[in-house]
Amino acid sequence: MNKEFRVLSRPYMVWLSVLVFFPILAMIFIGFSNLDSSVSIGEISLSFSHLNILTQSSTIIAFRNSLIFALATTFICFIFGYFIAYEIKLSKFKNKFVLLTLVILPMWSNLILRTESLANIMSENNILKSLLGFNIFGNIAGTWMAVLFGLVFTYMPFMILSVYTALEKIDFALEEAALDLGLTPLKKFWKVVFPLSLKGVVTGSIMVFLPTLAGFAIPKILSRGQIVFIGNIIDNKFIYTNYNHGALLAVVILIFILGSILLITKFDKEGETLL
Amino acid sequence: MENKKALIELKNISKSYDDELVVKNVDLTIYENEFLTLLGPSGCGKTTILRMIAGFIKPEEGEIIINAKVFNDLPPYARPIHTVFQKYALFPHLNVIDNVAFGLNNRTWNYLENFYGKAKIESEIKELSKHKPISVKKAIKNLIYKDSLQALKLVKLEGFISRKVDQLSGGQQQRVALARALVNKPQILLLDEPLAALDLKLRQNMQYELKEMQRNLGITFLFVTHDQEEAMTMSDRIVVMKEGVIQQLGSPKSIYNEPINRYVANFIGETNIIKGTYIKKDLVNFLDVDFKCMGYKFAEGEKVDVVIRPEDFDVVDLEKAKLVGEVVFSLFKGVHNEYEVKVGMEKLLVHTYESYEVGQPIGLTIDPYEIHMMKVDDSEQGV
Repeated sequence: MNKEFRVLSRPYMVWLSVLVFFPILAMIFIGFSNLDSSVSIGEISLSFSHLNILTQSSTIIAFRNSLIFALATTFICFIFGYFIAYEIKLSKFKNKFVLLTLVILPMWSNLILRTESLANIMSENNILKSLLGFNIFGNIAGTWMAVLFGLVFTYMPFMILSVYTALEKIDFALEEAALDLGLTPLKKFWKVVFPLSLKGVVTGSIMVFLPTLAGFAIPKILSRGQIVFIGNIIDNKFIYTNYNHGALLAVVILIFILGSILLITKFDKEGETLL
Repeated sequence: MENKKALIELKNISKSYDDELVVKNVDLTIYENEFLTLLGPSGCGKTTILRMIAGFIKPEEGEIIINAKVFNDLPPYARPIHTVFQKYALFPHLNVIDNVAFGLNNRTWNYLENFYGKAKIESEIKELSKHKPISVKKAIKNLIYKDSLQALKLVKLEGFISRKVDQLSGGQQQRVALARALVNKPQILLLDEPLAALDLKLRQNMQYELKEMQRNLGITFLFVTHDQEEAMTMSDRIVVMKEGVIQQLGSPKSIYNEPINRYVANFIGETNIIKGTYIKKDLVNFLDVDFKCMGYKFAEGEKVDVVIRPEDFDVVDLEKAKLVGEVVFSLFKGVHNEYEVKVGMEKLLVHTYESYEVGQPIGLTIDPYEIHMMKVDDSEQGV
């Protein structure tokens, strides 16, 4: 690349190290040291005593909640997202871009705002009830259903777009070849289309699974604090200035994320489906 | 051809895309064990005919009859036909042998029992059961594997069974596609410009191999191409098409020597088309000279187009010549020389072994049987 162009990348490199790389190092350090407001600089030392947070029942329950909801969300998004993506691919509609825009349209509004309004129409009295005369969602605010719905609603577009990109890349001649070789349309789907779209499914699953696992805003708002995710615990630790525990838990989440990225690069060497 | 069994009959087939008729009332009979080529420029409807026979698209009018049954509404998977696609369409998620076995692997057990026959399955079970007893299904799977290996051997790729298909060269992918179709023992193999993506040398080799295979296997090949040389080399019969209409159907020789109109004459190789007049039986006048001819019948005094292939001119001494012209352009082509000879106002293309310089006079004669005539058709503008 040109030298002049390389210079243009410097500001971002500085930004990346100052605001991402060093904070991560600091976070790891805080998680494994006795550093807190009462310790003076000379007394800082390594400490593994914070690891006990990992075995506390509240942490374990939060991890369990995060994991179960993340898995359930990913699974539901896969089932519905796949079929939506497949329908869009099959659609004879001339401008598929319009359909895709409809899919990502909700993502253009702010996440917190969207979730708050979802919580609103899920509660007993809301504007939709006054307009329609009945409650669409019943009164599910505060329950696990509300959280699951909110998560699926928020992260579905990632799945649809990933799967759609993978489906669109499948050469139509391959489907014709399968029919030509004696496969029924259903068998053709399972033996040719689905295996070739798996890349998109894996990428989409990771893009749904990770933010669900690490997120905290959606469960906090939609469960009214009833269901605690690991993200909420980290949130609380930092609010109550227990930086060591917060940092340690954040490091654990980071390990999950790095693992998933490794998985993506293994499945998607060309980076085709990553949006 | 008359005593051969008809395998496919197309009766009055028509198909249009977006109100544009791409195949117009085509009638065609394809016989058992023949190598038939649909030849024409792109957009002439040849691939559309192929896709209708394969079952990917339905004709709007007419009937497709295969083995004396109407096949119009049968989906592709129910037809005894397999296709070799232009860009091969190999499955990238499977290796070579799985690609070849793909069709058979996905058939029902019932189908496979009929496909192999009881006797063959039982003998396979007997053979394999020497060591430990095996099930019918396992015997069938084993037969499929054996057949796939056999098909790969046929296309000379037996050393590549576990290769991924994207690690193969174009020529090798072509062979895998061929093996994948042949392993299903189709009655009819459709080939949609399968050699178009190969380089010249490879293409010529594949032409001979395809012809050889078709002869040995006794399968009907329906080949689509826009390359007239390819069609000439391989076919038993050639169908020349233009704008969805069959222009001429016949053996390569008859199409080459006796083209039915200007379009066919121009499409099949280099040729000279000269305006002439049919004077009377066995006498035709062109370039202001009367020539003896044979075997054509027109009205006396009718205008005709005379077709003479460049290699059909005989180069002779000037005093013996019927036509005397001047060489205006010469090209050495290896085996022969190619000359442009100006006779009167007309320029003729002449192939000969003799060598002449540009500007030299040259004498030409034509044997009566080398003179071919076509009815003048004003709508035919040639290619």
